Amino acid sequence: MSFREKSAWVMAAVMLLSGLFYMKSALPYPGSPVMETVVPYVLLVIVLSVAGQVVLAIRSPDEARAPLDERERLVVDRAGYWGGVILAAAIVLAGIAYVVAPNGNMLFHHAVLALIVAQVAQYILQIILLRRAL
Amino acid sequence: MKELREANGGLSQAALGEAVGVTRQTIIAIEQGRYSPSLETSFRIARLFGVGLEDVFGWEGD
Repeated sequence: MSFREKSAWVMAAVMLLSGLFYMKSALPYPGSPVMETVVPYVLLVIVLSVAGQVVLAIRSPDEARAPLDERERLVVDRAGYWGGVILAAAIVLAGIAYVVAPNGNMLFHHAVLALIVAQVAQYILQIILLRRAL
Repeated sequence: MKELREANGGLSQAALGEAVGVTRQTIIAIEQGRYSPSLETSFRIARLFGVGLEDVFGWEGD
């Protein structure tokens, strides 16, 4: 397994776990102030991401230092494109939900969830494309 | 490409990748026909083996 694939697995796991944490915090009180759920979530994402990437870099320092090669760049670009499409679609859904139930805090939570879903999809797509070659 | 590697002292996929600036996984993908390298990488590979581009790569198109 290449370093980029390991990195994508780590980031997909981080986004998934932190997303579950966010949902667990936000779902019981969907209309509650957003800062109480967002600040711990952001801190969790930063800590887990940095820790995961540091462990990977320590295990494979040469691969971690190497820039993306041409195939990896294509994979990252293509996954990023589809991640953007998913994010846009999810944000539109969040907007529709706001029209149905106008609550600013809910809109914020839906937007954060859209971001999480798009990120998870992007990393999973990276893994698939790296395995399939393209 | 695998034959050329073996003819050149059993050059490993990792060593070939390092020499032309791609990862071992990309060399594997090229050898398995799952990835078409850029023109630049194709030339680098051909030059490394001291052969022409068409001695390494072929195209089965119409």
